[in-house]
Amino acid sequence: VSTPLAPGRWDRRRRQALSWAACAVVLVGSLGFGVFGDRTPRTDAERVRALAESVACPTCQGQSVASSNSPAAVNIRNEIARLVDAGRSEEEIVARITTQFEGSSLVPESSGVVGLVWVIPVVATVAAAAGLVAVFRRWSAAERPQPSDADRELVAAYLAGEE
Amino acid sequence: VGVVLVLLVVALALGLGDDGGTASSPLDGKPAPVLAGQTLDGRRFDLADLRGSWVVVNFFSTNCVPCKLEHPELVTFAGRHAGAGDRYVVSVVFDDTPEEVAEFFARQGGDWPVVIDRDGAAAVEWSVTAVPESIIVAPSGVVVTKVKGGVRAEELDRFIDDIEAAAGVSSP
Repeated sequence: VSTPLAPGRWDRRRRQALSWAACAVVLVGSLGFGVFGDRTPRTDAERVRALAESVACPTCQGQSVASSNSPAAVNIRNEIARLVDAGRSEEEIVARITTQFEGSSLVPESSGVVGLVWVIPVVATVAAAAGLVAVFRRWSAAERPQPSDADRELVAAYLAGEE
Repeated sequence: VGVVLVLLVVALALGLGDDGGTASSPLDGKPAPVLAGQTLDGRRFDLADLRGSWVVVNFFSTNCVPCKLEHPELVTFAGRHAGAGDRYVVSVVFDDTPEEVAEFFARQGGDWPVVIDRDGAAAVEWSVTAVPESIIVAPSGVVVTKVKGGVRAEELDRFIDDIEAAAGVSSP
């Protein structure tokens, strides 16, 4: 027996659905912007800054060349600025710096075992999302009240009385 | 842990790691980078002009204590070879002002070329991150090794003598 939802309950469900839809739009939009958005540095200063953030300061602990004011970091920033001025590409500049100062790149390699740092977060996120969906579905199915025969008889009697 | 601590204390007590030691460098075995520019006394310097001689390219700062400590050793080394002209010292200013450096040389001695590296381009070119660092360039213009930390005149001479002996070159 299908029972129509009361008008107030229908409105609440519709509002909930709209809220979830809005959340989904914001989430997908943010992810899309983060993944596909244009984050290319537009000015030379932005390029220098972005490159400096990808190079480790050779004389510091856990600081990039962008955030350190040690003489070595300042020299490397100057070198990056010179190379940007000279029209070198990002790849050429990073190659130059990492050749001069071995192990100074803060960008993990995209291949080999080190490349797993790019893959693991994505796999973990997808697995977590799938797990959450599965759990929510199970809870939803388990918590949905099933009408008993007595309930059905009561409803049938009520509907018969209405007629 | 106790053994490691004891070894560390012994190493510190013996002063290990205090003096300069040769260190691997991306420049080893390669032609020395260009080193050209204005010197403290306003002259033009070019490392290529010293081809045929051993050159100790010394990056230093007057703010650095090990640099001050090694300076008399460089004075000795440069003075010992001033007549023969077979071994030279060239200093490169690292994160310091020409005025401070000029005053330092006036006080401490030393009449070798001191190249001013205002924007740190030479330091990057020579892969220098901290001072003192000395890069030894062979007469062929190839970088032989880098010494991190202070140098000693005797050690520099012994190092170069050993290489020359191995190559069958007799010292003057």
